[in-house]
Amino acid sequence: MFQVDATTWGQPSSPQVREVERGAIRKFARALGLSNPVHFSVDAAVAAGFRDLVAPPTFPITLVTWEVPGLVLPSAGLIHGEQTIRLGASICAGDVITVRAWGDDVKSRAGVRGRMHIVSVINQGSGQNGEEVFWTRAVVIVHEEGMTRENG
Amino acid sequence: MKTGDQLGPFQVRVTREQLVRYAGAADDYNPIHYDDALARRLGLPGVIVHGMLNMGLIARFVLEALPPLTSVVEYQARFRQMVQPEELLTIRATVARVDGTDVALDVVLHGESGRPAVTGSLHVRLPRPEGLL
Repeated sequence: MFQVDATTWGQPSSPQVREVERGAIRKFARALGLSNPVHFSVDAAVAAGFRDLVAPPTFPITLVTWEVPGLVLPSAGLIHGEQTIRLGASICAGDVITVRAWGDDVKSRAGVRGRMHIVSVINQGSGQNGEEVFWTRAVVIVHEEGMTRENG
Repeated sequence: MKTGDQLGPFQVRVTREQLVRYAGAADDYNPIHYDDALARRLGLPGVIVHGMLNMGLIARFVLEALPPLTSVVEYQARFRQMVQPEELLTIRATVARVDGTDVALDVVLHGESGRPAVTGSLHVRLPRPEGLL
């Protein structure tokens, strides 16, 4: 089921607190085949001037929330169309990041097989001192009649 | 580094094992990335690679080709075509703009269909040369 409630759409979600764990950084880096030791070895990260293991640039995607006020997404038939990630200072293991999400834009139109909706959602992550450490914008395409052959 | 400089091509294949690893690491359990039968029922040719896994692979190869301690400022990608596991992927980057230590690269990932599967823009900041502040 796809639903947008205009009365709450655009309002920020309640803050969600994420703890960045060493194991999560290592697993994410391994899944991408990364070899830079700053993602795996605390000694190497510290020697390179970081306070702990460094998160890879796309790691914030593991911290975002899809609990967006005014938005109900179906469990299947979703396509990720676009992604933007803006990064502040390096995200390192041990960081505590507060994440809020809100709806950005919705466009609906008739597609070849039923209606489709193009939905964009913003997530913002703040560090311990309130500074922005990441900002992401995801565009997802919802096909009411299931998937198409395009996109990934 | 100057406008027009090329990085790559870099080639890689995503295995099914890597799809499962990525799903776990990213906490993304959309079944179109691990359940062939369900993916086919939804009109896909089988399981497909996460768009975010492709985006991560592009950043991996580009950053490996740049000086250590290069950081990402902003990274934008558009997912245009599906990519399947075991497909040979080709990644290329072209320097679009240079402004001091800031470099914007246009990036593209092709699958075997020949059409761009992911296109994007990766804005990085190079480390300052030793001794300069």
